[in-house]
Amino acid sequence: MALTGRAGLLALVGVLVVGLLLPSWQGILVVLAVLVLGVAVDLALAAGVRRLTFARAGATSVRTGELCEVQLTVHNPGRRLRGVLRDAWAPSAGVVADRVPIDVPAGGARVLSFELRPLRRGDRVADRVTVRSLGPLGIAARQGSHEVPWTVRALPPFHSRRHLPSLLERLRELDGRRASLIRGAGTEFDSLRSYVIGDDVRSIDWRASARSTDVVVRTWRPERDRQVVVVLDTARTSAGRVEGSLGGLPRLDTSMDAALLLSALAAQARDQVDFVAFSHRLRASVPRASLPALVRAMAPLEAELVEFDARGAVAEVLRRAGRRSLVVLLTSLEPSIEHGLLPLLPAVASRHRLLIASVSDPAVHAMASGRGDLEAVYAAAAAERTLAERRRLTALLARHGVEVVDALPDDLPRALADRYLSLKAAGKL
Amino acid sequence: MTAISPVSPDARRIWAAARGPLLIGVIILGAAIVITLLRGSGEGGSLDPRSYRPEGSRAVAHLLEQNGVRVELTDDASAVDGATLFVTHPNLIDPARLADLSRRAAATVLVAPAGGVGQVEARTRQPGCPLAAKAGAATTGGFVYEGEQRCYDSTVVRTGTVTALGHGAVFTNRDLDSEGNAALALSLLGGHERLVWYVPSAADRSQQKSLTDLVPDGWKFGALQLGVAAVLIALWRARRLGRVVPEPLPVVVRATETVEGRARLYRRSHAAGHAAAVLRQAARDRITPLLGLPAGEDPSDEIARRTSRPVAEVRTLLSSAEPVDDRGLVALASRLDALENEVRKG
Repeated sequence: MALTGRAGLLALVGVLVVGLLLPSWQGILVVLAVLVLGVAVDLALAAGVRRLTFARAGATSVRTGELCEVQLTVHNPGRRLRGVLRDAWAPSAGVVADRVPIDVPAGGARVLSFELRPLRRGDRVADRVTVRSLGPLGIAARQGSHEVPWTVRALPPFHSRRHLPSLLERLRELDGRRASLIRGAGTEFDSLRSYVIGDDVRSIDWRASARSTDVVVRTWRPERDRQVVVVLDTARTSAGRVEGSLGGLPRLDTSMDAALLLSALAAQARDQVDFVAFSHRLRASVPRASLPALVRAMAPLEAELVEFDARGAVAEVLRRAGRRSLVVLLTSLEPSIEHGLLPLLPAVASRHRLLIASVSDPAVHAMASGRGDLEAVYAAAAAERTLAERRRLTALLARHGVEVVDALPDDLPRALADRYLSLKAAGKL
Repeated sequence: MTAISPVSPDARRIWAAARGPLLIGVIILGAAIVITLLRGSGEGGSLDPRSYRPEGSRAVAHLLEQNGVRVELTDDASAVDGATLFVTHPNLIDPARLADLSRRAAATVLVAPAGGVGQVEARTRQPGCPLAAKAGAATTGGFVYEGEQRCYDSTVVRTGTVTALGHGAVFTNRDLDSEGNAALALSLLGGHERLVWYVPSAADRSQQKSLTDLVPDGWKFGALQLGVAAVLIALWRARRLGRVVPEPLPVVVRATETVEGRARLYRRSHAAGHAAAVLRQAARDRITPLLGLPAGEDPSDEIARRTSRPVAEVRTLLSSAEPVDDRGLVALASRLDALENEVRKG
């Protein structure tokens, strides 16, 4: 049950009645009795809320920050229902207007449409649907809630996709589509064809020419069908918020953006991408990932306050990567790597090429250049210590043959994709 | 061709927008100054013993003090025993309280109290009674009263210790020096050693009745009904349309927190030596690749060659292990920066 503003207004009119006509206890009781009677009539005649049935349809996934629509159908088996309906979602689901006036005829149905603009990545779950059914006098209303489950998955925004055209351009340059007969690193034998004037004489295949009547040249193409295993660290260090041009984002989100750009590029380069998210346990894994499947798997991932289990992650990678692959680990260059990952490196590095991508923090660089008072200089010393630690780790990893990309959040996706392309060009996949 | 229209206002537009309000402000300020100047700086109203204005009473208060009477200006008059009570505006006081005060006072003088039986104009009158025989003619008028001793055509009347005047002219600065006004004033007010000069404030009157006494009885029930209405309106506003939905918030920590924590630890333990070593190492690490030297090599000689600084100085700056205090640390940081800048330029 719920009262309306009209009940309050009626009681205010009652003030005049009591003050001017019936200045006594009886007067107050009379006004109260009229009010109670009105409320009782309204409650008796309002349409029932309990027997309503609901159904949902519409979007199940949307890119974070974009608009989608979810429909809610209300079936009303009883008498005519007038009132207000609220479709409650968590604040981050970004419902544009969750309260709508409704008028459902007896035995009829209405379809209501709610617009959602999710503010955060992840599964956005609908809470209850609450209906307030007004009585004919509009003094009181019946109210009740129903569970009508629905989930909209807010996908990672993939901001770095704007880099994709220029990266693809670079990839085409590398690729056989810009035909070159020059044999270089990062290319493998494609086919034989007859010599045309202008071809490089160094690419003539004399053995094949001897068997044929023509002079035959070999053509080359970049290596393809390589395997790329992307490992996303979702443990403790990925929860750290780092300020970038998009505001303060957790390292995890920047890493995801980088992983998406790399995967999109690798798919265009016809390499196969396997995705693994790991903290102290396996969080998500997508073998032979297509971009939509990848985005879908990443959406509900959140950072966990646990230590990254390097041993488990390495075992998972070794199990997945059968042949020689590029293993990309998106983590953070912290001293804990030394105890966790470093002892396991030989097992990975002997069979695969390992690339570690890490989000560096512009705030630490700003602190390192702080001068003036004592506090700033101590902060600078602490920041320099952290940066020195990272340099040392980078050098240590490089000694084990591990590539390291350590970049600011705005630059990391592009830097990682560039490194992938240069590795591909050098035939080191 | 695109027309360029700047959005931010220039000086002329700011002036055009601001001159209206500015003019109004100047007019208000000017009017306030003029009114204040015209009104003069005298304080108090009529019959105020501090006021120098024509209707004030500074002159008579001064005369009384010269004659050895202690004048106490008050606005609540609690200690009146054995003193002359002079009430300038008796109608502003609760009658019961006034009666109580005049009973306790040795003598009471009231200016134009309620209870007059007629009105006459204010002019010079002869006393015609023993009470004011010594004073002679005086400026009186205003209300006419009944009483035991009646003087000046019943405009000054004494009943017991209470004297009522129909008009306060004899006490004002303007009329004190004419006729026998001063003598009358002194004889009325200077009878005792102490004079309580009671200037009532408006608050004295409002104590009589509370707000509830003034409200008609019927509306008390109306107010109760108003309470009922307030409860109903509160119920209307308090009822939510469905429960509050909590937001599952992810764990997010500022990434620099460990670095800041370490900085605070350095500071608290005054680890200036350690901080200096870290800063020196960082400077070496940055300068070495600038000079094209392999990492880990001592760059002092090369720096000295390029910047024409003595080798010993550079070496001390970059790799001395001598202890540093807090002040030295700040200076060291600046000197390291200066050295690095020189290398970059050189």
